[in-house]
Amino acid sequence: MVKNDDSTWTLSKVSELEHLMLSRLPDSADPTGCEEAVDRLYPSPIAPDAEIDGDKSFTLENDWKEFIEPDLRSDFRDSLKVVADDLGKSSMTKEGDLNQYEFIIPTAHANHWCSALNQARIVIHHRYDLPSEDGLLDMDPNPEKWMATLQSEIYGMLMEFLIKKVLWV
Amino acid sequence: MRNLGSNVEVETPPSPEVDVLNEVTKPWQVMILNDPVNLMSFVTLILRRIFGYSEERAVELMLKVHYEGSAVVWTGEREKAELYVQQLQSHQLYAVMEPVD
Repeated sequence: MVKNDDSTWTLSKVSELEHLMLSRLPDSADPTGCEEAVDRLYPSPIAPDAEIDGDKSFTLENDWKEFIEPDLRSDFRDSLKVVADDLGKSSMTKEGDLNQYEFIIPTAHANHWCSALNQARIVIHHRYDLPSEDGLLDMDPNPEKWMATLQSEIYGMLMEFLIKKVLWV
Repeated sequence: MRNLGSNVEVETPPSPEVDVLNEVTKPWQVMILNDPVNLMSFVTLILRRIFGYSEERAVELMLKVHYEGSAVVWTGEREKAELYVQQLQSHQLYAVMEPVD
């Protein structure tokens, strides 16, 4: 990934597999049908062990659902839309027999990319019931889970790069 | 406590106004709970960005979340705590709040 002069970054030499994983990003971030992912993306604002009486807890949680959660949903959707648009502008080149792809990420979109990548990682983790990092080696030899792990790892690497090279101040 | 005579003391129930005042002034703490997905660098970045913490402080809190399962990242009035929880959740951090005992 290289920085261009005009406040954009180019992600080049993206393989067919990486391109496939990246093109799945907006869909992968959709938590529909995975209750655990929805609960994790939109958690209650109250700590699980909080000593707070039932009525107050109920009111705060209801207010949160009514006034805050729609904003969160809208922010998350906006980021996915920005990233989907950026992904739609990818270009392909031939390197011998292999297809390679190139993406332009505007610096101003880096936060949206991090949000989208993180949303997708959270949804993938819950949808495929992936173990934490420590348990990866003991994971069932399930091709779907391994593919989901690979997808999440690719997103994590790109996110790490954006954090360290683009967003870190 | 109110003194009603030479040696008789009766506990006075707090007035509703005092209850309301306590409710408003009682501090709340904002916590981040551990999550197997969020990257350590991302949690650190967001803590620095939202609270203006130094890199050292943000890393210290992030490691506390990672190794101890949670960390109190801010304490203060309830309205501000709600705002911080919202900001942290908008970055998909597992943020919650609770009143301080």
